[in-house]
Amino acid sequence: MPPPRPPTSAPRPGGVTAAPSTTSDGLPTRDADDMCPVCKTIRYLNRDMEFLVNPECYHSMCTACVNRLFDDGPKQCPYAGCRRTLRRKGFRAPFFGDLSVEREVDIRRRVSQVFNQVEDDFQTLRDYNNYLQMVEDLTFDLVHGDEATRHKAESQLSAWEAEHRTEIERNRRAGREQDEQSRKRLAAEAAAARQRRLDAIREAEEEKLEKIKIKEMEIDSLERGQPLPDSQRVQLKRRGNKAVEAVANLAANSSAAAAAMATADTVGKLSIRGLKEKKREPRPEGPYDPFGGLDLTPSRYKIHGGLSHPNVDKYRSDKGHVTGGYSFDEYTSRAMFEAFAGLGVFIEDEKEVGVGLVASEVVGMGAALAAVGGDGVKMELD
Amino acid sequence: MAVSPLVYPPQTTSLNSPLKRQPPSSSQQTSSNGTPNFPTGAAPLSAAKAILHQPQEKTSPPPSLTLDPIEQMNELEKRKYVKGRKLGEGTYANVYLGHSRSDPSSLVAIKKIKVQAQYNDGLAPDAVRELKHLQELRGHPNIIQLFSVFSSKDQNLNLVLEYLPLGDLEMLIKDVDHVRYGAGDIKAWMGMLTRAVWFCHENYVLHRDIKPNNLLIAADGEVKLADFGLARGFSDPGWRMTATVITRWYRPPELLFGARHYSGAVDIWSVGMVFAELIIRTAYLPGNTEVEQIGLICKRIGTPTEDNWPGVTQLSQYTVPSEITPVWGKEAFMSRFGAVGSEGVDLLVRTLALDPKRRITAREMLEHKWWKAEPKPTRKEDLPRKSGGEEKMGADLKRRNGVLEEDRGSKVARKLDFGAMR
Repeated sequence: MPPPRPPTSAPRPGGVTAAPSTTSDGLPTRDADDMCPVCKTIRYLNRDMEFLVNPECYHSMCTACVNRLFDDGPKQCPYAGCRRTLRRKGFRAPFFGDLSVEREVDIRRRVSQVFNQVEDDFQTLRDYNNYLQMVEDLTFDLVHGDEATRHKAESQLSAWEAEHRTEIERNRRAGREQDEQSRKRLAAEAAAARQRRLDAIREAEEEKLEKIKIKEMEIDSLERGQPLPDSQRVQLKRRGNKAVEAVANLAANSSAAAAAMATADTVGKLSIRGLKEKKREPRPEGPYDPFGGLDLTPSRYKIHGGLSHPNVDKYRSDKGHVTGGYSFDEYTSRAMFEAFAGLGVFIEDEKEVGVGLVASEVVGMGAALAAVGGDGVKMELD
Repeated sequence: MAVSPLVYPPQTTSLNSPLKRQPPSSSQQTSSNGTPNFPTGAAPLSAAKAILHQPQEKTSPPPSLTLDPIEQMNELEKRKYVKGRKLGEGTYANVYLGHSRSDPSSLVAIKKIKVQAQYNDGLAPDAVRELKHLQELRGHPNIIQLFSVFSSKDQNLNLVLEYLPLGDLEMLIKDVDHVRYGAGDIKAWMGMLTRAVWFCHENYVLHRDIKPNNLLIAADGEVKLADFGLARGFSDPGWRMTATVITRWYRPPELLFGARHYSGAVDIWSVGMVFAELIIRTAYLPGNTEVEQIGLICKRIGTPTEDNWPGVTQLSQYTVPSEITPVWGKEAFMSRFGAVGSEGVDLLVRTLALDPKRRITAREMLEHKWWKAEPKPTRKEDLPRKSGGEEKMGADLKRRNGVLEEDRGSKVARKLDFGAMR
């Protein structure tokens, strides 16, 4: 919206030439409250003067002007230099005195209706923060940007809206549900508080009665010449004893009073609304796999028993090896492993994709290549 | 070879060359540390230089000195992490909390191995062992992950390890007053431990120092096998290995008797000891000396004789108490270890077989029917845990390997016989 032109500009039909005192961004300030910038009526003449704005351009004018100008259909804004076409329907009383604030709030409301993602929609907190940053940048452009950036931001906004229509709708619904829930919770809390207050009053009443009764008992016992046992007296004298007792009782039969406890919990404790408890998704409980899902049997060769070599066999009967538990099977399997360890490593692939790739991926790729080439990579050894 | 560790490209082999300790050569062609210069025309290297010469880099050398490509790689690797406060300090290593420079929320533990006076012509063997095997055993959820290695000034070796904040199994076992756990929890922990050992053995690595305080607990409750300072690959036939490995309480009889050719069965004995300790919540065979340790084994499990272990009397350090205890059967264990059920006791007895040839293997352990029996293993998120484990991880990582906490410096010397490996 361009700033209003200085009053020297040519008068428009049905318009006025006077520009009200404006803020830097071209919106009328609070002191325009006493005079309608369109018809120059001052409050002194019309005590019930009210100002309306149209969110198209936020130029304020009095109710009389609005009725006079827009009753018979849409017209241009009477402000000098403002070419917006306004309708009667669009006018409303501003909530904020400062119309630039009013405008920013409106823009923010509109943006937040489109960008209504919540933290749960994001994988990490960082993603969420980036998103918030993006939204804030866009809002800033819309509020404070010049014509070009505003246009750009506007088109971004509508593009996003078009692109994410379903998600926006879903989040809106979820938000409504949440509002509903929080309303219910607040109502429940209020009801519980009321109940507690009543209980407290009743308890105080009871305590008072009890006190009177004790006093009477004491007097009676003094009459009879045998004072109450100390323990009883002390216990009864202590103030607030009832409350302690009640808590103890509650803890004791917690299962019975679970529901009551729950409300007491939500009411009594400090609850931070912003921090939602993340719900843990229930994992399917499969049978326990002692191997942790790992299979380390060699896939490229088989080890057959009876592999031998004279340099190894001479130790098979050696006492030191046999008694110490040296395992020749471990040796043969290690020898085979080391012999075949280089297979499945394709240095060329690794060079292409770079070091740091998961080895199994490289193996898979290499195997696929080899399979295309026609040579079987898998081999069996006899 | 679904998860063959050998297929992983060596990402972080930024070890310093041993040439570094030699007196600097006077030749102009070599760099500050004696490694020949490479032409530095390649783009990544010049980029590395650009980073290195930023003013905020404190440790960057003056611009007049050129860095060879290895040093540049090392600097790049080092710059990926930010070292934070110290978690613990020991004679062998300091442990710092750190995080990655690009993502401050990803925490790591940086184990800075001290230069040791007795190994001044190279790296300490523990560091080499740890590095070598952690690099090979990457990618298993129950083995501590090594992210990176770099050397800092004074040629200190820094291992960037997974940060495991919840202490170790020993803390949980010992904290009888505050931590309570049941058969399902034991089964879950044993499952994770056995999988770790199985993975080591399938990749032909002997851990040789399994004990509860080398079993660290990750933030999600996963138990991770750590401290590979005594690990080695499986030996070839005829190749002698040292017998003075594994912390004494967890040391199997064949090592106590001085066997020099052994197999993965030594780790299985330790696993069995951890299993027993998890059940009774105190060390099962806490011998103060090696002789006492043998005595305890003979008394509680049975005396190794030619009948139950052919050839045992021929081992070099075979000495058993004079009165012979027959090997206890499963029923004898039931009374003390019955909490894990009869299948659990069956598994325990098999891991504690005196003859290593008859001892169950890690794979057979995982195939045992105990895992299928009730109760089900607890989900790792629900396992009992304890806060304040941070200092403990520092303490665990800085410890020397293979030594009991109580009697450090006593005669459980860390005698690693390198002469025999030739």
